[in-house]
Amino acid sequence: MTTIFFATDVHGSDICWTKFLNAGKFYGADQLILGGDMTGKAVVPFIHQGGQNYRVTLLEQVFDITNEDELADMRKKVRSRGYYPYLTNPDEIQELEKDPAKVSKIFLQEVLKVVQQWMELAEKKLAGTGMKVYCCPGNDDMDEVDDIIRESRTVVLAEGEVTLLASGHEMIASGWSNRTPWNTHREEDEDQLAVRYEAMTSRLKSPQTAIFNIHVPPYKSGLDEAPELDKDLRPVLAGNSMIPVGSTALRKSIEKVQPLLSLHGHIHEGRGSTRIGKTLVINPGSMYEQGTLLGAIIKLGKNKVENYVLTTG
Amino acid sequence: MSDLFVRKATGMVRSWSVFDAFIYAFFSINFVTLGFYAFSQMYYFGGGMINALIISAIFLVFEIIVYSSLIAVMPRSGGDYVWQTRVFGGGLGFILSITGWWFTLWLWTPVYGDMLRQVVIVPLLGAFGMSGQAVWFAGTGTPLFVSSILALVFVSVVIMLGMKTYARIQKFSFYAGVVGLAIVIILLLTGTPEAFKAGFEANSAAYFGTQSSGLVDATAEAGIAAGAATPLTGGSLGLVMVTLPWLVFFNLWPNWGATLYGEVRGATDYKRNFAGMAWALGAVTVLGIVFFLAVSKTIGWDFYQQANGAWWNYYWGYTTEVPPLPVWPNPAMLAAFLTNNRLVQIVILVLMSFWWFGWAGTLFLSSTRVVFAAAFDRYLPEKVAELNKNGTPVNAMLLMVIPAVVVSYMYAYNVGGFISVTLAATQAIAIMYFGTSIAAIVLPYKKKDLYEASPIAKMKVAGIPLITVAGLIFGGFLLFLLVEWFFDPWLNTGGEAPGLYGISLMNTNSVVFLLATYGLAAALYYGFKSKRKSEGIDMDKVQAEIPVE
Repeated sequence: MTTIFFATDVHGSDICWTKFLNAGKFYGADQLILGGDMTGKAVVPFIHQGGQNYRVTLLEQVFDITNEDELADMRKKVRSRGYYPYLTNPDEIQELEKDPAKVSKIFLQEVLKVVQQWMELAEKKLAGTGMKVYCCPGNDDMDEVDDIIRESRTVVLAEGEVTLLASGHEMIASGWSNRTPWNTHREEDEDQLAVRYEAMTSRLKSPQTAIFNIHVPPYKSGLDEAPELDKDLRPVLAGNSMIPVGSTALRKSIEKVQPLLSLHGHIHEGRGSTRIGKTLVINPGSMYEQGTLLGAIIKLGKNKVENYVLTTG
Repeated sequence: MSDLFVRKATGMVRSWSVFDAFIYAFFSINFVTLGFYAFSQMYYFGGGMINALIISAIFLVFEIIVYSSLIAVMPRSGGDYVWQTRVFGGGLGFILSITGWWFTLWLWTPVYGDMLRQVVIVPLLGAFGMSGQAVWFAGTGTPLFVSSILALVFVSVVIMLGMKTYARIQKFSFYAGVVGLAIVIILLLTGTPEAFKAGFEANSAAYFGTQSSGLVDATAEAGIAAGAATPLTGGSLGLVMVTLPWLVFFNLWPNWGATLYGEVRGATDYKRNFAGMAWALGAVTVLGIVFFLAVSKTIGWDFYQQANGAWWNYYWGYTTEVPPLPVWPNPAMLAAFLTNNRLVQIVILVLMSFWWFGWAGTLFLSSTRVVFAAAFDRYLPEKVAELNKNGTPVNAMLLMVIPAVVVSYMYAYNVGGFISVTLAATQAIAIMYFGTSIAAIVLPYKKKDLYEASPIAKMKVAGIPLITVAGLIFGGFLLFLLVEWFFDPWLNTGGEAPGLYGISLMNTNSVVFLLATYGLAAALYYGFKSKRKSEGIDMDKVQAEIPVE
C-alpha cells in the first residue's frame, strides 16, 4: 500500500509550500502531489519614505514601517498571504501608474523569484528522503514557471505526461482548465481539453488503476461549485447563488476511463469528495491566504483506494 | 490594495452588492414568520416590547461585528464549525456545530410547519370560504403534523432545485413580501379601532364561523384570563431584559447567510459585510417599532396581547377551551380585515405568504453543508455526501427529513409535553454562537499570525482588538440568555416548571432533547475517530497544523 498526500492552489504562500514539503513526514506519506496554481495574485509595494521608513498598504490597511525588524515582519505577513513584497519608491509608483505593462514585468520577476526559491527549498528539505514532488502548474501560472520546475531534481513537472509513480500507478496530469472569466494563462475550450485528455489517457497501460491529477474539477461533481458572477465579475445575490463551473470534457473522460482516483483543485470553496462511477474524485480546496494547507491523504492499494481523508494543516 | 498590483487570476471577483447582502440578512431576521410568531408568544412579560426591540438590537450589533470579523479573518471557510475547530482544535467545534446547524433543525421543522399553516394555509382557506377546513388546520395534533410534513416537502423540493434557483425565489419573495407588509402597515396606520372591531367580527365570522358579535369582548376576556400583560413601552430595565430570551427567537439571525459571503480583500469588504447585516438588523428593528405603533393605533395594544394570550394559552394546553377566535391571530390577517373586499384580502394574504416561502427553504440548506463537511472530514460515512444522477443529496436529505418527521410527530402530538421545548431550537444555536464568541475573543492571541495578516488587524478599541471586545459583549449577552433559559433565576426563584421560557432545567423534555443531541454529536465524533484510527488514520493529526520549520 502507498500513501499519497495531495494539495493544490497554494498561490504563492510560503507557509503553505513549506507545510506541503513537510507533509510527507508529518502524515507518513510516500508521495507528494501538488495540483496547480502555485503562483500568487498580488504584488504589495513597499514604498520608501526615506531612511528605514516604508509605507505599505496591505488589505486596505496602511502600515508605516520604521526599522529593519518591522520591515522583515511585514515581508513575512505579505508572503504569508501569498502576495509578493516589492520595495519601491514614490517616483517608480508614479511611473508604474502611467505604464501598467511594467507592472506585469515586475509580477513575472517576483513570481519566478519565489518559484526558484521554492525549488531550492524542496531540494533542501527532501534531500535524502527519496521523495519527489509531482506537480503541474495550473491555469493561473505563467508558462515561464515550467522552465524553472524542469531544472529541479526534486520537483517533477508532470504536465501532459503519463508518469509512472513509485507505487506503480500511472498518473496523467494537466493544469489546463476550461474557460474562466479571467482569461488566464492556461485555459481553452472544452473540445480542446478533450483532445488534451485523450492524448494522455490513450497512453495509459492500466487505465482502471490510474490517477488523474487535473487542476480543474469535473463538471457537476459538487466539487466545482463557485459563486455565480455577473458581467462585472460581481457575485450575484450576495454569493448565495452557486453554480457548477467544472469541465464537461473532464467529466466525460473520467466516466469513460474510470481511473482509480481523480485529484483536482481550482475551486477553492469546492472542498470535498465524491464518486463518478468507480472513480474516487477529490478536491481538497484551498485556504492559502490563511496559511492553512488543505490536502488529502489517500491510501492506495494496487487496484483500489484503501482509505482517504481530507486534511486541514 | 490598488488594482494596479493585482493580476487577473481565477477567483478575483469584485465586491458583492451590499443591498443583496441586506436582502438575505433581512429575510433571515424574518419579520413575519419569526417576528409575528415570537411577538405573539410574548404576551405575559412586564417589559415594553419597543424597549426590548431596541435593547436587543444594541447587543446584536456586536454579534454582527463578531461574525463580520471572523469572515474577514477566515473567509469562505465553512463558518462556526471551522472557526471553532481552528481556534480550539479537537471535537468542540464538531459537537457544537453539528448540534446547532443540523440536529437542532429537526426541532425547527414543526415550528416552520406551524408558521406555514398560521401564516399561509389557515388564513387563505378562510379567505376562500373553507371555514371548516381552516379551523381544522389551525388545531392541535394532526393538522400541525400535516403542516410540518408539507413544510418538509417544500424544503426537500428547494434542496432538489438547488441554491441558484432558490436564491432567485428568495429575492422575488423579498419584493412581494415587502409590498404585502407595506399594505398591512398602511391599513393599520390609516384604520380606526371602530373599523377594526367591525371588520374583525364580520370577517372572522365569514372566515372561521365565529360569533358575529361580541367576538372582541370574548377574545379580550380569554386573553385577560390567560394573563396577557406585556406593555408596548416601559417596564424596568430588568423586566425588559428578561423579555430578550424570547425576543431573540426572532432577531438572533442577521448572520445566518453570512458565511456564504466571498473573499474579504480589505477593510472595505469587511465594512460591506458589516453593513449588509447591520442595515438588516436596523431595518427590522425600525419596522418592529412602526408595526407595534400601528397595531396599537388600530387593533389596540391590549387587545393584540389578549388575542395572543387567548390563543397560546389554548395551544400550550393550559386550557382545553378553544378560544373565541379559533386560529392564531395573525396580524396580517387582522389588518386585511380592515377592508371588506375579499379579493384585496386574498392579495394581501398571498403577498404575505412569500415571507414564509422565501425563508423556509433555508431550513435544511445549512444542514446539508454541515452534513457534507462532516462526511468529507470522515466523521460520517462517505455515502452521506453522495449525489444522485440529478445532483440531489438524497442520503443527506434523509438524515435530515426522517428525524425531523419523528420530532414533528412528538411536537405535534405533544408527546410527553414536547411542545414546551420550542425555545430549545434557539437555545442550541445560541450555545453554538457562544462557542464562536469565545473563539472570536481569543483569536488574536491564539492565532496571532493569522489575525495580524488579516484585514482587521488594525481595528482596535483602546488597544484591544475589536473582535475581542465584540466577542466579550456578544458572549456576555449569550451567557445571560443561557442563564435565563436554563435557570430563570430572577422571576422564577422557586424554579417552578415550566419557567418563564419553558426550557429551564425543570423541563425534562428540554433537558433530554439537548442531552440527546449533544450526546449523539459526541458519539459520532468519538465513534468515527476511533473507527478511523482502527483504519490507520489519526484524526487528531489530520486536523493538526503542519510545522512550518
